Amino acid sequence: MPRPQARTITFTIDGLEVQAPENAMLVDAAKHGDVEIPVFCYEPKLGQPVGACRMCLVEIEGIPKLQTGCSTPVKDGMVVHTQSERVKEAQNAVVEFLLINHPLDCPVCDKGGECPLQDITFGWGKGTSRFIEPKRHFVKPLELSPTIAIDRERCILCYRCVRFSQEISEDYQLVLQERGAHSYVSTFDGHPYVAPFSGNIVELCPVGALTSRAYRFRARPWDIEDSGSVCTLCPAQCNVTLTVRDERVMRVLARQHPEVDDGWLCDRGRFAYPRLGGDERVSEPLLRDGGELRPVSWERALEEAAAGLKRAGARTGALVGGQATNEEGFLLARLMREGLDSPHIDSRVAGTLPLELQRELGDPSLQAHVSDLEFAHAVLLLDTEPIEDAAILDLRLRKGVRRHGMKLVRASSEELLNKQAAGELVKTLKAAGEEIVVLWHERLTAGPKGAEAARALLDLATTLSLAGAENSGLLEIPAQSNGRGLREAGVLPNASPGLGAPADTGNAAEGLDALGIADALIKGELSAVYLLGVDPLEDSSSLPVWSRSHSPWEQQRPLWEQALERASTVVAHATFLTEGIREHANVVLPAGAYAEKEGTIVHPDGRIQRLRPAVARLGSTRAEWQVLAELAERIGLDLEVRNGMAASQQLFDAVPFYAGLTLEEIGGKGIRWAQRETAAGVASS
Amino acid sequence: MKLLFDRIDEPGLNTLPVYEARGGYESLRKALAMPPEAVLNELEASGLRGRGGAGFAMGKKVSFLPKGAMDKYLVCNADESEPGTFKDRELMQKSPHMLIEGLIIASYAAGANRSFIYIRGEYVLQADMLDAALHEAREQGYVGENILASGHSLSLVVHRGAGAYICGEETGLLDSLEGKRGNPRLKPPFPANQGLYQGPTLINNVETLATVPTIMRMGGDQYAKLGVETSTGTKLVSVSGHVQRPGNYEIELGIPSREIIYGLAGGPPEGREVKCWFPGGSSSPVLTADELDVPYDFNSLAEVRSMLGSGAIIVVDDSTPILDVALKVAKFYRHESCGKCTPCREGTNWTVKMLERIDSGEATPMDLEIMASVQEHIMGNCLCVLGDAMAMPISSMIVKFREEFEAHMQAAQARARADLGVADAALTAADALSAEGAAAHA
Repeated sequence: MPRPQARTITFTIDGLEVQAPENAMLVDAAKHGDVEIPVFCYEPKLGQPVGACRMCLVEIEGIPKLQTGCSTPVKDGMVVHTQSERVKEAQNAVVEFLLINHPLDCPVCDKGGECPLQDITFGWGKGTSRFIEPKRHFVKPLELSPTIAIDRERCILCYRCVRFSQEISEDYQLVLQERGAHSYVSTFDGHPYVAPFSGNIVELCPVGALTSRAYRFRARPWDIEDSGSVCTLCPAQCNVTLTVRDERVMRVLARQHPEVDDGWLCDRGRFAYPRLGGDERVSEPLLRDGGELRPVSWERALEEAAAGLKRAGARTGALVGGQATNEEGFLLARLMREGLDSPHIDSRVAGTLPLELQRELGDPSLQAHVSDLEFAHAVLLLDTEPIEDAAILDLRLRKGVRRHGMKLVRASSEELLNKQAAGELVKTLKAAGEEIVVLWHERLTAGPKGAEAARALLDLATTLSLAGAENSGLLEIPAQSNGRGLREAGVLPNASPGLGAPADTGNAAEGLDALGIADALIKGELSAVYLLGVDPLEDSSSLPVWSRSHSPWEQQRPLWEQALERASTVVAHATFLTEGIREHANVVLPAGAYAEKEGTIVHPDGRIQRLRPAVARLGSTRAEWQVLAELAERIGLDLEVRNGMAASQQLFDAVPFYAGLTLEEIGGKGIRWAQRETAAGVASS
Repeated sequence: MKLLFDRIDEPGLNTLPVYEARGGYESLRKALAMPPEAVLNELEASGLRGRGGAGFAMGKKVSFLPKGAMDKYLVCNADESEPGTFKDRELMQKSPHMLIEGLIIASYAAGANRSFIYIRGEYVLQADMLDAALHEAREQGYVGENILASGHSLSLVVHRGAGAYICGEETGLLDSLEGKRGNPRLKPPFPANQGLYQGPTLINNVETLATVPTIMRMGGDQYAKLGVETSTGTKLVSVSGHVQRPGNYEIELGIPSREIIYGLAGGPPEGREVKCWFPGGSSSPVLTADELDVPYDFNSLAEVRSMLGSGAIIVVDDSTPILDVALKVAKFYRHESCGKCTPCREGTNWTVKMLERIDSGEATPMDLEIMASVQEHIMGNCLCVLGDAMAMPISSMIVKFREEFEAHMQAAQARARADLGVADAALTAADALSAEGAAAHA
């Protein structure tokens, strides 16, 4: 369906002629003239304004009563006053009303210093109160959920959290209990508010009523620094702001990106951070000595690792986990192919797909945007449950259904492969309209029927004429966070960087895929394995719960136990000391968590995003590019990487459709390579 | 002149045979024989203004509904929750068919095919009687598919509320009807464009709809000759409080208010005088004994800065301290405030607390100023009119009975001091005496 487009109109605010998009709410339109109208309940992300807090009252010429700026669409020629005596009196009054029951305990409140109520009181309040009665009291703070504390005395009843629960995440758990001055926010039955997106209400709260229990009393706003990055815990790759104090991540906040996350975060992304700097991390190089892993110097660890890999030479295999950056995967692939002459490197858990199919599925004209999920007439969920596979997309789909009447259709690849069922599916989709997005998961291509299913998916795209169509296309959720980026960087046994033919790497042979590597290790055809950010015994940390039981690695655990047992050298480049690594690795090289990393990753829709180090590396860990370069040097290969930027540059030069890309161009918001001039590179490569 | 209450106590009027015997549903037949636009013209010509409180022209409201084929709704507001108002109750109890007939005609004019009567939960008897009458009307083919072969269809459901004043506010009512918490919605969009289930919705009070058959029978122009120019027709008034004959009376709009309070309702008990009176429910600004000769119609009452509202006259005589009246009113609205918007939620609560302090002798002379200013800050700044419904009468009381408030404050302070056994008790007692004297004088 057509996306909203507004014409520009001119209106007058505080005597200033300002241009703004027609029908924008006055509070937003005012910003075009650098005028701020204070708000509490208004939050465009929550949908229609409710006009509850009354903070944004303004005077509009021709209308006798003061109007709420949050709910009044701006019209051409409108004359608005935000500074008149009448408006000021109303603003002072609302602030005074709001502070009647607010405890003003700013010195011990987490929100103090970054609190809209403080700011607005300072900017639009009178500075005094005439209220001398006792304030209302509640037991506080209470656990609203295991992660969120609620302080009802601080609450100004703006409704944001309740609206989020009812209209955005649609879990319908939060309600206002009682009424009038007795109103308070609660779950209806008093049970904990447990929901996949509950943490967003902490960020929505304009006062200190809802606080993160993990962050409570950990820092004041003047102790902290903000650092923008991208969450790599799942393929959704939400943009985040990391709150950093003393080189530790203290909090994860959303960094709104309309094309990625729409300003929301899932609870995993928001609350998993303590683990990133936790005790389970590997913080120094380890070497197996007398059956046990013992700390050693970097020199020693690198020597041992290099010696083991050199011994194995072309009989080395490598697996790359989903949280690895493009650069890490790219450099390891070079090390394998150029240094050890081994093509056996893989990043796909679902098994290898023929190169032509991969290229066709990655065709730029077929790629849907994330925002298409909202504006398409219909979305087909194919072999995926978004809440498990890429949680934040769940909210986007709900928004599409709720606000734009998008039709949501679910199907499995079984249906796709069945002619009759597929025909029905096409009918259902076409009935909804022309603009259709197919959101599919990599598991569709897994197993013996994988290639057939991929072909059927491409046929479906042709039948529905998705190529190049408005608000339409395919959107793949890879099994791993950076699955798409690693493939594009050439971390595949049958492709060179940019999905080129293996011959482009100088080694024409196709390598073994993950399963093949395990087999070959057992048979003794391979003798060493390099594990970059992956433990084949654990399911990959990037695999969400639902897909776990379907994960080939999980089913293949006995196989991998045998393979690692047989391998003479297991080099693990790991962040956590998980079971397979603790039991089987000969050398453990510590790796960073995403908050420490630099490099690029690729969003499922082809958006290249940038990781920036927010905190110092833990213990004696070193940058992954540095470790790979030093290892390569000891094997006799100069990767010519002297810093992280050089690694990125090498990658951009090697992938035809990244040609000419710079880190500056990627910036804080990323860039979809399908929209760059070099996009044609994918077909010609 | 009795139209709605014409022989209202006739036994069995609540049943279809009796209602039909005196010409019931004839207006419906007449209306259905006309094109809907012609019915609408009659309504507009009648000048009928909404009887629920706001006094908006009924015909105009109907004409606001968008034309064309779509799901349109008609909702009858039978929540009648304004303190002092009990006219709809008697009407529904004694002549439910009149309401149903009016509702069908209005739905025809508005092109609405689905309708609801939202009746307050406390009206159990009335709801039962409406249900029974509705059953009869359905059996007779007045409600349902293709009514009297006119092509017009209407479904009608009697829905019982659960006891909240705010559900009498039209958008709060709609939310409640949809099964949500009954909170008012932001306007615009107005219900005429986006009301029940997002569809165009016409909402009218019981009395308004019950007047429609009469208008169809008399003709809009004839009806408009009743009453005065800007307030046509007759009105049911509920008189309560300190009068000798409280009850519902049907009056022609524009008669002097004194005629209602003293003439019909018998005035206050022997030896007492009217201190103040609410002309249109507890949310209307109070008027004093000096204002008893104001004509009882929409515009005249607006001219003296009050309102006709729901037509509920509450009389307060000189035996009642004004503070008690103010406290009663403020407490009611504090209790009923939904809590959605700030000025109403906090302002009603604060006002009650200040009034209580005046009564307990803990007030300061500033408090009256603060209270008056709080009312100013509530009025016009809220999401719906509930906040104003408290602020308007309280504000008017402070203006009109300021001296009594001050005297009450001083007397209470003196009593409080005396209770505490303050050393100069004699002096304070004297203060109290003179203060009470002043109050009596005022």
